Amino acid sequence: MFARMSDIDRMFDAMGLLRGRFDNIFNEFDRTVGYGPTWSVIGNYPRTNLYDKGEQFELFAEVPGLSKDDLDVKIQGNYLEISGTREVKTPEGYRAHRSERGSASFTRSLTLPSDVDPDKVTATLNDGILVLTLPKSEAAKPRQISIN
Amino acid sequence: MDGKDLTKKEQGAVESTRNLRQVTPLVDIYENDDEILLHAEMPGVKKDDITVNIDNGNLTLSGVRSIVHDGAADWEEFGDVEYQRVFSVPQTIDIKKVNAELKGGILALHLPKSEAAKPKQIKIKAG
Repeated sequence: MFARMSDIDRMFDAMGLLRGRFDNIFNEFDRTVGYGPTWSVIGNYPRTNLYDKGEQFELFAEVPGLSKDDLDVKIQGNYLEISGTREVKTPEGYRAHRSERGSASFTRSLTLPSDVDPDKVTATLNDGILVLTLPKSEAAKPRQISIN
Repeated sequence: MDGKDLTKKEQGAVESTRNLRQVTPLVDIYENDDEILLHAEMPGVKKDDITVNIDNGNLTLSGVRSIVHDGAADWEEFGDVEYQRVFSVPQTIDIKKVNAELKGGILALHLPKSEAAKPKQIKIKAG
């Protein structure tokens, strides 16, 4: 029995919380599960986003803690490969209490929807996000057709 | 039961109405004689979007990532999130001297220990 109003309040709170969870169930795709060193478990590292901007593609990759010397990008036609090594060292004179961020080397290859011009590719690294601008090759670019 | 109980709302489950999903950032925690050093992984978060609060012995890290992009997405494996994590900090931390820096998506938080908490070598005098 609900003897007090506060019990009823609490029940509705719990129901609201459950509803919130269901609302979010489909966009929980990049939640880090648990507290352990998940680095090794994630198969597709680094995670990437690809956007098609008509003339060019833009690829975002999540590479926290990596400097530009740690990263290597290879392109051939519509094949793109990002590889790198991350080293996490305990700073000099410190002892570690918790280390969740592991050292690892990785390679990820991606197939782009169309060929890109490897000479015009530019890459920037900002706040742990690698941004590659990949202009499409002439044949793959959208073209305006004039009607006679 | 007195009248107060009828209207008092007990602390229960509170739903966050913000739509941004919360993600736990991975952290490394180190310690030496002078300070505790915390590294938190927050790729894509800008310096101004990070807040660090210390309140009542709780350290709350929060960083909001909003990635600016345009064009049609061919695939999207990560999105806008809020990195959030709470730690309890020992009393021995000198809160006024806490400082933080952000480099390459890694937040480094320095938590200096207060003078009283640092280990001291006691000299023994010959009697």
